[in-house]
Amino acid sequence: MNLLREVAGELTKMFVGDAWSTAGILAVVSVTAWLKGRGIVPPLVGGTILFLGCIAVLVTSVVLSARRQRVR
Amino acid sequence: MISIATAAPAVSAAFLASLVEVVEAFTIVLAAGTLRGWRAAVAGTAAALAALALIVVALGPLLDRIPLHWLALLIGTLLLLFGMGWLRKAVLRAAGIVPLHDEDAAFAAEAVNLGHASAPGRAAFDWLGGVIAFKAVLLEGLEVVFIVIAVGAGRGLLLPASLGALAACIVVLAIGAIVHRPLARVPENTLKFAVGVILSAFGVFWTGEGLGIAWPGQDLMILVFGGAFLLVGLCATQMVRRSRGAIAP
Repeated sequence: MNLLREVAGELTKMFVGDAWSTAGILAVVSVTAWLKGRGIVPPLVGGTILFLGCIAVLVTSVVLSARRQRVR
Repeated sequence: MISIATAAPAVSAAFLASLVEVVEAFTIVLAAGTLRGWRAAVAGTAAALAALALIVVALGPLLDRIPLHWLALLIGTLLLLFGMGWLRKAVLRAAGIVPLHDEDAAFAAEAVNLGHASAPGRAAFDWLGGVIAFKAVLLEGLEVVFIVIAVGAGRGLLLPASLGALAACIVVLAIGAIVHRPLARVPENTLKFAVGVILSAFGVFWTGEGLGIAWPGQDLMILVFGGAFLLVGLCATQMVRRSRGAIAP
């Protein structure tokens, strides 16, 4: 039971290391899917939003994590 | 026939990521084997490898049943979560915000944990050592299995990706057998940085494919994304390092 809990914890940690980053990535993917699905943007613009959104999430999460670590 | 250009990113991603995970598992198995006996450590490792093989055998046919674009979207999103997580952590470690992973320290910590339990008799099978080795190989192996499936599934590259992971295991075991101590000199953070870059690039590519985006240049876009993530990662490292220097006395 303990081992299963540890495996579940490890799997969660694999994908949800930082809550802000996870929420940001899922938001970028969802927004891209919505814009592309509704035909609001052409596919390639959707791709650009996805890519630049991920870059923005990465930079923001690094800066926020660094700031949080410094406060501690 | 799979071309080298198609297989190379998947094989190198699987190899480098597996290298990091196998080194971590090796440290713990080495501690278990040295302090509690090799019979139990090897048995625990073999049992974990069997469990991982079962997971792969069970998951493989399930993946075939998922429509390709849903599979691409699912795997792409998971790769983004996993790869960007590694890249974020590698940037923070490279900038000195988070301490680097130290295999010698990990070995010492595991040795202290194992040393607290009483050692078994010479003839007895040491269950504690076996369970510790089993857990380490299973937990680190799960990440290897995910990476192999993520970079290999959907393009028919499961076999090349598996070979990349297997090569990493052989390299670590061969070096480990020679030096017989934790592989502390492996540049773990550099590897994590590289793997984070590659997996994030794969993640954007696959997620886009899953959403029906036809990337110009097709697979070549993975290289473009990889280059961009690498550049952003290096710039972020410098930026955080510099702001840290500005605040530190």
